[in-house]
Amino acid sequence: MDEKTSLRYQLISAWCGPAFVITFIIFWLGFGHNFPNPSPSLAPEVLKTRYLDNLGEIRLGFIISMITVCLYMPWSCVLAGQMSRIEGKNMPILSYLQLIGGALTVMVVSFSAMFWAVAAFRPEASPETFQLMTDTGWLCIDLQYACTTLQMVAAALVGLADKSKVPLFPRWVCYLTIWCGISFFPASLTGVMKDGPFAWSGVLSFYFPYFCWLCWYSTASVFMIKEIRRRMSVAEPAAAGRLATA
Amino acid sequence: MPIELTAPALDTDKAGRHLPGDPDLWFLILAELLTFGMFFVAYVGYRAMEPAVFDASQRTLDRSLGVINTLLLLTSSWAVVSAVRAARADRPQVVPRYLAGAIVLGFGFMVIKYFEYSAKFAAGISLNTDTFFNFYFALTMIHLGHVVGGTVVLIVLWSNARNGRYHSGNMRGIESGASFWHLVDLLWIFLFPLLYLLR
Repeated sequence: MDEKTSLRYQLISAWCGPAFVITFIIFWLGFGHNFPNPSPSLAPEVLKTRYLDNLGEIRLGFIISMITVCLYMPWSCVLAGQMSRIEGKNMPILSYLQLIGGALTVMVVSFSAMFWAVAAFRPEASPETFQLMTDTGWLCIDLQYACTTLQMVAAALVGLADKSKVPLFPRWVCYLTIWCGISFFPASLTGVMKDGPFAWSGVLSFYFPYFCWLCWYSTASVFMIKEIRRRMSVAEPAAAGRLATA
Repeated sequence: MPIELTAPALDTDKAGRHLPGDPDLWFLILAELLTFGMFFVAYVGYRAMEPAVFDASQRTLDRSLGVINTLLLLTSSWAVVSAVRAARADRPQVVPRYLAGAIVLGFGFMVIKYFEYSAKFAAGISLNTDTFFNFYFALTMIHLGHVVGGTVVLIVLWSNARNGRYHSGNMRGIESGASFWHLVDLLWIFLFPLLYLLR
């Protein structure tokens, strides 16, 4: 593969990041009725009615979410490639860590949406079944954030050790990344809390960590795309030159 | 988070005033302060909705353990300051001793928190008892997570210091770690009155 083609794929993969965010806002938050999300203290009957009233939208929302969550994969691959360039000829363990962190994040997010899709699959099921599947889905996504935290920490550590003339990430972005990773910790409390700000529908366990994740993901995407554009602007004259002499 | 492991060695340490440690680390510290600031605002907001519940539950907290923990963290911060001073004064052999002291005090904080939590659980109080205990456990556990992380940072500093790595020519790592530890201390200085004393 020539450099120009490779760079084009890199750019497309990096743009999968923003595409993932946009599709998730539409399908996971919007159609999936996760904004606001159901409180863990809802009575099973109320929860079931919530599903039945929006059955078509919830099914569509989560089924599409499970497809578009995979856009996170090419994005993680670009980041891994850019990180391994910084790790140089050393063993690229942090790039690997970031890559499997990203891959497992996809599975965590995908499985949570699947549990809600299962809940919406049999409308005649008992209210307790709806509650169980909803609980499983939320605890799946909220308790298993550590895969994503490791992905972020790996990216931050490589970023901090970047000695390139134009680094991939400015140092403040690396610290932003670590902070965003830390901000997930309150989500562990969702395993116990059924009410209040630390329950999975609460300000401090839902809106705040998810917002932090969005901050990191958007910022990282911007700098990743910038880096590819920079390399494209260097590569293009050379590629044009090759064409002329061919 | 052994941040200072990857921080490049001291580059510009222009004479006079500067932010201690890696200047960009202060972005993380500021973000942490804003995060906890948000927790505190939420706490005060929820408190205003159920002042009676908060007052009653707050009375069950053991203030003396809270005071002891405050003293432990303040003393450990002093030890870290002393370690930084010793490094700057080029007395590298003293640095690990002060850091070891700070680490022991950090562990002391965790032990006391363990007894405090187990006393609460033994009395049948849990994270779900009421909104006050929602906040009490959530905020102190998140803070405890920072104490654990900060202690890991101190242990990394200590093991580097034992090899005589920190001196007036290489202050960045130790200053970065120290700044994070002071943040952990500062957060407790806010948490303690808010949870144990504010009526």
